[in-house]
Amino acid sequence: MQIEVLAFAHLREQLGFSARMVECSEDQTPRDILGMIAPNILLDKSIRVAVNREYGDWDKPVGRAFEIAIIPPVSGG
Amino acid sequence: MKTHIELTEKAIVLPMEPVDDLEVGAQVDFQGIVRGTEKGDPIQGLNYQAHEPMAHLELAKILDDLAGLHPCDAVWIIHRLGYIPVGEIALFVRVRSKHRKAALRLTDELIDRLKRDVPIWKLS
Repeated sequence: MQIEVLAFAHLREQLGFSARMVECSEDQTPRDILGMIAPNILLDKSIRVAVNREYGDWDKPVGRAFEIAIIPPVSGG
Repeated sequence: MKTHIELTEKAIVLPMEPVDDLEVGAQVDFQGIVRGTEKGDPIQGLNYQAHEPMAHLELAKILDDLAGLHPCDAVWIIHRLGYIPVGEIALFVRVRSKHRKAALRLTDELIDRLKRDVPIWKLS
């Protein structure tokens, strides 16, 4: 299956993309998927992941999700 | 509770909707404005970026939670995205309620939660 990986804010420059389709399997976790495309990225605790537009778990399999978004600390308002 | 959530790249225009519920006795308006300095350095403006579909969903969820805690009549949230010059409005919130305390509390908690959980970023 394919999943879309989205990056925001400074992570766009670090990762080199804002959106990217990635080949993966249902039992892979967001951490596995990011590890395949950016093995050197440092995921500190402030970086959250959203699966299908809801905050999720870095270590829970993505199942048939269509999107994961890597969410650095937000700063709206 | 009536809600209006809007993310826009255009300058924010304050809603002009008249009060249509005779039980409304309070209206709180909040405007978040781009300051002329960022971390002590002078700036001309800021860029705002968002995961727009998720930001809408998160704001709706927050309002759902807060409606149970602070019953209000109506809430408008308008967040501008893209480049915003200094002095212009980045965030507008309007809350109408029967009495002032519910509107003031909802406004305060809404902005706290927006700044914590809604995927919008200020980029200098």
